[in-house]
Amino acid sequence: MRASLAITTATIRQVFGIRRALIFGFAAIAPALVFLVSSQTLADEAALNRLLAMVVGLYFPLLVPIVSLIISASALGDERRDGTLSFLVIRPIPRSAISGAKFLGAALVVGALNGLGGGALGLMYGLETGVWGVLIPLILGGIVAGTVYTALFVPLGFFTDRAVLAGLAFVFVFENGVVSALSGLSALSPWRLGLSTFAALAPDSVAADLVDFGAVNLSGLGSTTLRAFVVVAVSIAATTMVLRRRDLA
Amino acid sequence: MTTNPALVESPTVEVDDVSKWFGQKVAVSNVTCSFGPGVTGLLGPNGAGKTTMLRMLTGLIRPSQGGIKVLGVWPRTSPSVYANVGLVPEEAAVYPSMTARAFIRYAATLAGVADADEAAARAIDTVALGDAADRRLGGYSKGMRQRAKVAAALVADPQILLLDEPLNGTDPVQRLHLINLFRQLGDEGRTIVVSSHVLDEVERMSDRVIAIVDGRLAAAGDIAAIRRAMSDIPYRVRVETDRSRVLAARLLEEALVHGVTIDDDVLHVETGDLAALGRRVPVIAGDVDARITVFRPEDASLESVFRYLVGRR
Repeated sequence: MRASLAITTATIRQVFGIRRALIFGFAAIAPALVFLVSSQTLADEAALNRLLAMVVGLYFPLLVPIVSLIISASALGDERRDGTLSFLVIRPIPRSAISGAKFLGAALVVGALNGLGGGALGLMYGLETGVWGVLIPLILGGIVAGTVYTALFVPLGFFTDRAVLAGLAFVFVFENGVVSALSGLSALSPWRLGLSTFAALAPDSVAADLVDFGAVNLSGLGSTTLRAFVVVAVSIAATTMVLRRRDLA
Repeated sequence: MTTNPALVESPTVEVDDVSKWFGQKVAVSNVTCSFGPGVTGLLGPNGAGKTTMLRMLTGLIRPSQGGIKVLGVWPRTSPSVYANVGLVPEEAAVYPSMTARAFIRYAATLAGVADADEAAARAIDTVALGDAADRRLGGYSKGMRQRAKVAAALVADPQILLLDEPLNGTDPVQRLHLINLFRQLGDEGRTIVVSSHVLDEVERMSDRVIAIVDGRLAAAGDIAAIRRAMSDIPYRVRVETDRSRVLAARLLEEALVHGVTIDDDVLHVETGDLAALGRRVPVIAGDVDARITVFRPEDASLESVFRYLVGRR
């Protein structure tokens, strides 16, 4: 347990240095700042439309994946590139503890950044309209999407030096291209799982308006949570298996 | 009682017919050897397969064929054995943003050491890192990083220590300190395996050598024994005397002498039987009234062993 905690803590420090904290912190609140600047004179309904445009056009499909990708891919990828993976794996701890702790460290940072982004956007909307019902759903939606992305990108960072490139291709070609064209595949899109969480927890009036922004075929909360758990479990199991079987140096 | 010089009596690390290939390239081929308490030098030129061998010993990479046991188990499937194994890899393998103290404490925590702070402080003292321990590893020289890695490997007090070119980048003072440290650890009964291509270093650190050339076990045993086993090449002996030319002429009449050269009144005598020459030279010197001041084999060093092994392949 001490070892897992130490790895988690070290991972947080590793993927979240001061420079990254500043850059990604600013990036996370960018949608909120855009909303703040662009919604000053809008009526409540127009402000809601502006919020949903931010949520569906910027926060979930762009900010959440990119922040998640860059942070997560470095969690194991940097260890492999810097040769510190050998330092980690020749310790008397199970490989599952290593993969679990690496995932947890990255997921906490990703969750914090995406939560900050969603929270800032919800906060601005609340301050503008006095409606606070979207604040927590936005935070949780960002955390759910970020967690699923982390589960995908931590092992990807281990497998390839071009994880960021591969991740961007996944997000922009598959999720924002293929899945957008074939909405039946939306369950395979992590940011749509986050959006589903948001839609499920937000006030009904907000959720109903999401359809106007192309957010269709969204899953229920139970199904989304189950999918997220499955992806995380498979990811940790797969990473553990790779750490056990693959040559590590 | 084993007669194979590649094997030791009480092995802590056993390598059984191990091969490793990466695609078409064979890095290690059919190596069988073992390591026990004391310092063993893993010797070979660059690219010989030493690093691959060390990585297999730690379970970082899997043999393509054969088996490895560390304290009786294959580490990959029994990670608890790592509590007794320390590795100093050749590559950087440090976290540049960590201080050396944090890095070593991290190693202690991961190894399950009860008081990680105390163990880290002790390991820092052992490698004489001193005040520099609280500086970030990213700003360290290569030699200092090596010492930090050695401290991290030692922090859990392992029974087995595997060191891949541990003296790379160290200055002469650091080198001497580390060589003495490895010898001391070996004398304490730990299994120390040190890979190096710097022959002088291996000779100073270890009594026993496993020599790998082109991925194959080229020789094993103590350095002098390896040299004795190479009976197909002549020994070269330095003889200093006050009557060099007379003695040289007389020695050339002996069947056991293959040749003599004179260099600044020093004789370099080649023979296939060192012991016989040692008995014969005083007799001959007495016959020609020469006084022998030096009689010393010139090539019982690891350098000559290594040159021979590489050249033979």
